[in-house]
Amino acid sequence: MKRRAFIRKAGLATAGMFAAPYLLPEGRLFAGTGDRIVNHVVVVLFAGGVRQQESIDQAYLSAQGLSTTGNLLRNMLVGNEPSSNLVYMPWQPVLTTPLAKQGTLFKEMRYASGPTGHFNGHTAAITGNYTQSSLDLNQNPDFPTVFEYYRKHTDPARSAVNCWWMSEGLGPYPALNYSRNGMYGAMYGANYIRPATTFGSYGLDYLNDAITFQPDDVTKIESIKSFLDKNFDRTAADYPGIINTADDREKIKAFIYDTLNKTSAGQIEWPLPPGISTAELTGDLTNIAYAWQVLQKFMPELLVINSFDLDACHFNFTNYLSYMHKADYGVGWLWNKIQQDPVLKNDTIMICMPDHGRNELPNSVYDVNGLRAFDHTSDNNSRRLFGLIVGPAGKVKQDQVVGNDADPVGETIDLVPTIARILGFHEYIPAGLLPGRILEEAFV
Amino acid sequence: MEHRIQFAAWLLLFCGCILSGSCKKDISQQVIYDNVIYEITPVSVYANNAEKTKQKSAEHFISILYSNLTDKSIPADDLGNLAELALSVGDKELMNRVLLENMLADPQISIPSNEEMRSNITAFVNGTYLKFYLRNPTAYEAYYFQDLINHDSTITSEMVYAAFAQSNEYLFY
Repeated sequence: MKRRAFIRKAGLATAGMFAAPYLLPEGRLFAGTGDRIVNHVVVVLFAGGVRQQESIDQAYLSAQGLSTTGNLLRNMLVGNEPSSNLVYMPWQPVLTTPLAKQGTLFKEMRYASGPTGHFNGHTAAITGNYTQSSLDLNQNPDFPTVFEYYRKHTDPARSAVNCWWMSEGLGPYPALNYSRNGMYGAMYGANYIRPATTFGSYGLDYLNDAITFQPDDVTKIESIKSFLDKNFDRTAADYPGIINTADDREKIKAFIYDTLNKTSAGQIEWPLPPGISTAELTGDLTNIAYAWQVLQKFMPELLVINSFDLDACHFNFTNYLSYMHKADYGVGWLWNKIQQDPVLKNDTIMICMPDHGRNELPNSVYDVNGLRAFDHTSDNNSRRLFGLIVGPAGKVKQDQVVGNDADPVGETIDLVPTIARILGFHEYIPAGLLPGRILEEAFV
Repeated sequence: MEHRIQFAAWLLLFCGCILSGSCKKDISQQVIYDNVIYEITPVSVYANNAEKTKQKSAEHFISILYSNLTDKSIPADDLGNLAELALSVGDKELMNRVLLENMLADPQISIPSNEEMRSNITAFVNGTYLKFYLRNPTAYEAYYFQDLINHDSTITSEMVYAAFAQSNEYLFY
């Protein structure tokens, strides 16, 4: 049949007319905006379970019976790289000054309660509450997420495009963009995306040839849809998932198509050192690359991403080291990009924290280099983690180390209150929902 | 003894004649189709949209949309891949729209042409309601579309399909 197809960006022109005024359940038109430290927060859940030994302690292979030590995370931490027994390809740091010198390092934090599983670790970090559930339940958490606190208690004119959750993998992670809490929920959720699928082979295969209606046609389709919806008493709000305004939805749709086009045209900028092939990309680096696309396009106030390839440690210690080194490069690369952006440059705080730690003792698996693998089964070592808060001097204390093994400072559940403090909505969160505290030590 | 055998044989022959159909009864069978949609699998028609109370899952939506647009079942691999795509974006309505726009560009789709639509609007509207909503339009709904298509020459069958596929009722069954 004859079909009209037009350039994809045409639909944007009609978008603005559908935006509706926003009234909070409390009856106020806008939530209050408190005193902010900066206007943008980027969180990297340096996830997959990271041992303190190979990260903060820079022990490298000492747990494997070899004496070689060294710093795998040269963009994040201060310290020399391993000088021998290399089982990974060292990349020159992208940052001239490690992040630990551009902020505050919480050297020894605790994941204090609950199983040290990835679902639990992510949930605790994103909701500010430990969870005892031991299963990867593919359902929204009970406690509100940081995204819902942000959207409900901050000026809602900024809407959901200002708030993103991007995961390296799928599994239960898409469900972490909003909770089942009756006071919050999907209407305050973050825009979730898993770039490896949306912009990966599936996206390129199935989303590569969309019809685009003219703006006038879009208006007429909306008019017909409106008629149809008036004759049906269930609304789209019943449909699971967050709801964007029509304006935002058009922007996100255009972003998806534009990013797919850039991907297929080889125009995505990857977090790789000069001369390194894209064959070296990991899922973590892919997630970071597309996080930068989101940051550039929407300048969100709150962006949370994770890495996950480090979980290879269950069966391949060599890959674990390599992926940790690459994820560190990605974190440095992202910070470098932020510093080159005139809007984000002096107005962004980045927080890096693992979902949880990893066991002290290895399991029974050896990799090709004869290195032993480690699980995370809630021993004390798997409750050890670190936190790195970096930002502009004058806002974030520079080159400061807080806490040590004998005197841990900070917990996983402190992430949410700390983000709330940075973006100025902590005082509006109802009492009793957040057991953690603000990591005030990091701020000037 | 021999008489008994002959008697039994005659008795069997007599009964056989009776049972073998000296009188045949005409049997008529009335086949009632509760609904026929484009000669695919007969399905029940909803009496009205109030009966639709359950949300479609992502897989339901994709599978049914594909069938509605192509008159074919979606291959299992494609369904799995598209379901993963749907899962990878948090705004489900947005992703449904993206998937729809891409299916509409698929050369395999089967949509009545504009000429077909305008040549028999009643049939087109009834067919569209049955295809997407599994029910007949109410008189008011039928009038709305008659009036819309008659008075706006820019309305295309594709636009009508797009509106139905994005409507709230289509998300429920």
